[in-house]
Amino acid sequence: MKILVVDDFSTMRRIIKNLLRDLGFTNCEEADDGNTALPKLQNGNFDFLVTDWNMPGMQGIDLLKAVRADDRLKSMPVLMVTAESKREQIIEAAQAGVNGYIVKPFTAGTLDEKLKKIFERIDG
Amino acid sequence: MALSEKDNLERTIAQTKELLNHLEKSEIEDAQDLIDSLASDGDEDLFVEIGKLTRNLHEALSNFRMDSRITSMAASEIPDAKERLNYVIEKTEEAANKTMDMVESCTDRSKAMSKDADELLTEWKKLYARELDPGEFRSLCKKIEIHLEKNKEDADSLHSELTEVLMAQGYQDLTGQVIRQVIELVQDVEESMVNIIKMFGSMDSYESEKTKPLIKEGVEGPVIDVKKRDDVVKNQDDVDDLLSSLGF
Repeated sequence: MKILVVDDFSTMRRIIKNLLRDLGFTNCEEADDGNTALPKLQNGNFDFLVTDWNMPGMQGIDLLKAVRADDRLKSMPVLMVTAESKREQIIEAAQAGVNGYIVKPFTAGTLDEKLKKIFERIDG
Repeated sequence: MALSEKDNLERTIAQTKELLNHLEKSEIEDAQDLIDSLASDGDEDLFVEIGKLTRNLHEALSNFRMDSRITSMAASEIPDAKERLNYVIEKTEEAANKTMDMVESCTDRSKAMSKDADELLTEWKKLYARELDPGEFRSLCKKIEIHLEKNKEDADSLHSELTEVLMAQGYQDLTGQVIRQVIELVQDVEESMVNIIKMFGSMDSYESEKTKPLIKEGVEGPVIDVKKRDDVVKNQDDVDDLLSSLGF
């Protein structure tokens, strides 16, 4: 399973990569905003996208919409890990087709739980 | 009430005619009284004018004082504050990376220790089950000795890595001091802005604006005043509830 982790803060990317590695996902790549993430997704055979919302350049919500609008990427599961916590934003992400939404600060347990839930849905 | 120029002029003409009248009739005392009253009218005007000038001068002076503070804030204090906040980002990033370096190293070490102990336990159980021949027993003893020596080394390394994690937390003190300075500057800027509003704007709209809740459009990052807000979720459970209410 190849995962792309998108966050503008390198420390958060590192935290998420470490947690994913502990959960058995060792094939991770990074991008620091939507603009750098989208070409990687289009050319990189990724299976899963973990993205922040608030980033300079292209924001996570726009990356999600771009993924859903791209014929080759539209079925890719997307997990949002973000500090954005307004109800209307969570609803917007849900309407844009997000598969999971985690608010920062979060725990390793939450990440594990949401990943399992997403994969159960895909397998089921 | 101030008189218009036309009224003033008419009054002055009338008074002058009256004065001339008194002089023609040689009514010197009356003329003198009139001159005195004219002079004191002039004094009142003069005092009003001096009052106005004083007020203008006072405002100009306080404007000047405020201007020089704003100039220094814009020219040096705010750029300096930006540098300080960048320093906070740098220091916190440095500390986070240092901590993660150590955590990753500790994690690798603990995984190796666990794997090593697992292998030894398997052989140890064989010993209890009398499945080891004397050669294997000697080899097990040697392995246990190596494991214990390595354990000691690992424990020492863990200790020094944890000390580094501890020391990396020093960022909190350094960044706390810097942020406190920036808070003071923000407070000064706020005061200056209130002064400007007092002088050129409306204090009433300032006061009424103060009571309105602050509405932030779009992305805003972490919410600081969660308790005062009803448009945000409080935690992950709230997110999950909201999503499941939407059919997720």
